Amino acid sequence: MPKVTYVSHDGATTTVDVPVGENVMRGALYNGVEGIAGECGGAPSCATCHVYVDDAWTGKVGGPADHTEAELLEAAASAVKPASRLSCQIVMSDALDGLVVHMPETQY
Amino acid sequence: MNVAQTLANYVQDPTAPKPPHLPRPTGLDHIPDHVPADLVLSAGLMNGEDFLAEPYVYMANLHRDFPPVFYNVSFYVNGWTLTKHEDCLFMLRNADAFRNLDAVPFPRDEDDYFFFIPQEIDPPHHRKYRNIVDPLFCPAGIKKLEGLIRQRAIDLIEGFEHDGGCEFTTAFGRPLPVSVFLDVMGLPQDMLPTFVEWADQMIHGETPEVMGAALAKAVAYLKTAIAEKKANPDQGVISLIANAEIDGRPLSDKEVFGFVCFLFIGGLDTVYATLNNIWAWLAQNPDRVQEIIDRPDDIDAIVEELLRRFSVTFSSRVVTKEIAIRGVTMMPGDRVSSCLPAANFDPEVFTDPLTVDFNRPRKTILAFTVGVHSCMGGHLARMELKVALQEWLKRLPKFSLKPGAQIVYKPGGVIGPDIVPLIW
Repeated sequence: MPKVTYVSHDGATTTVDVPVGENVMRGALYNGVEGIAGECGGAPSCATCHVYVDDAWTGKVGGPADHTEAELLEAAASAVKPASRLSCQIVMSDALDGLVVHMPETQY
Repeated sequence: MNVAQTLANYVQDPTAPKPPHLPRPTGLDHIPDHVPADLVLSAGLMNGEDFLAEPYVYMANLHRDFPPVFYNVSFYVNGWTLTKHEDCLFMLRNADAFRNLDAVPFPRDEDDYFFFIPQEIDPPHHRKYRNIVDPLFCPAGIKKLEGLIRQRAIDLIEGFEHDGGCEFTTAFGRPLPVSVFLDVMGLPQDMLPTFVEWADQMIHGETPEVMGAALAKAVAYLKTAIAEKKANPDQGVISLIANAEIDGRPLSDKEVFGFVCFLFIGGLDTVYATLNNIWAWLAQNPDRVQEIIDRPDDIDAIVEELLRRFSVTFSSRVVTKEIAIRGVTMMPGDRVSSCLPAANFDPEVFTDPLTVDFNRPRKTILAFTVGVHSCMGGHLARMELKVALQEWLKRLPKFSLKPGAQIVYKPGGVIGPDIVPLIW
């Protein structure tokens, strides 16, 4: 099963298995990884699963999936950077095995 | 022991549910000493004359007519009311200071107590229960139900589309969410009329006895259904819950019951009221109906805006430690309610808040709240609303209120018109 590494704001890392087809927000919630709230459940209608995709992965993951994600990201609580994504919109595939995402200081 | 100590000592153990024993003050005789006199008001949030006349105008006017934080006195329960979007987010996202204990005002045997799950379960246990049902209630899970929901909607509409009119709440608003509920739970559709009757009596029953009797019948049925699904599992939610494990142990009978029972009372009335509100508005705004028909690709944004404009309920918590909002001090044991329709009309967040504007920039709406307790049925509700709009407008693009019909609202914690008579 593909693995995702979540890096918290203070640098702590957690690596978990996230099945193909599942999204990166839910991978955190299912495994008790703190730092991603995902409070709308992936509608998407909030920006509380904001992550920064690691530099090594931005090419494979790509930018916001659509206009809605881009618009929601503008309202994220922490600084929005070129590598910013809503993790509920990153769907796991074998190509993303080993993905590293960094979590912002706060989601609110 | 005072309330602060009771709350500090209260450890929530879902395997051994104990009542939290919290005060439930009502009326002017029960106002805590720390509440400033000038903030004590009776807003009539669920039953006042202004509310009943035009509930959404009333909710928008709260920002003009009331302080942003006030202590509302009512026959139902006294407590703080929040109307600002920002304050509601603060409350809903702070599950530590604002807990969801004793959230469902449902009489329970103190010696045989159970929690409504997951609503009354706070962190750290809350997420474990959500994880059981999330695969089904998440957007991808609900997407799999789309075809089924669509067929239920079509079947209902085809039953009356040639009649020249209908009473919307009984013809569609009630049966659609109930039939979808039966599908999701794995219960047979021939129970539809029975569940419709129970749901109606539970919500619109003439007396508390009628309401209680309906709930008791539903509870007895659900208990039998749980036993049956344990013996013969299927793909429905009752099976999923009845056969689930958390922390490596199977759920107890009380957990299963509290979970299934919560799903029954949690989702039916809110979707019903939302549909009724929206159809009452559509029937009076043919140009907006045409706009929805003309913008099929914008249906998700349209649904989101309608949910903002017609959100139907409140979300309450119990304060666990002294905390201030806008300089107003709240003490342990106080009840606080986020007035969701008002928060969705906060003029600082949503300009011209009563206007239905499908081009609004996306912002956090509070129809389903936010935070750890945000509504697990939100995606199902969105799908039901989307499918209902699409299938209805495809078949009945022109409809209006029956001449002489008046939209009358009933008092209560869920905002919605009593009846919506339509003609086409």
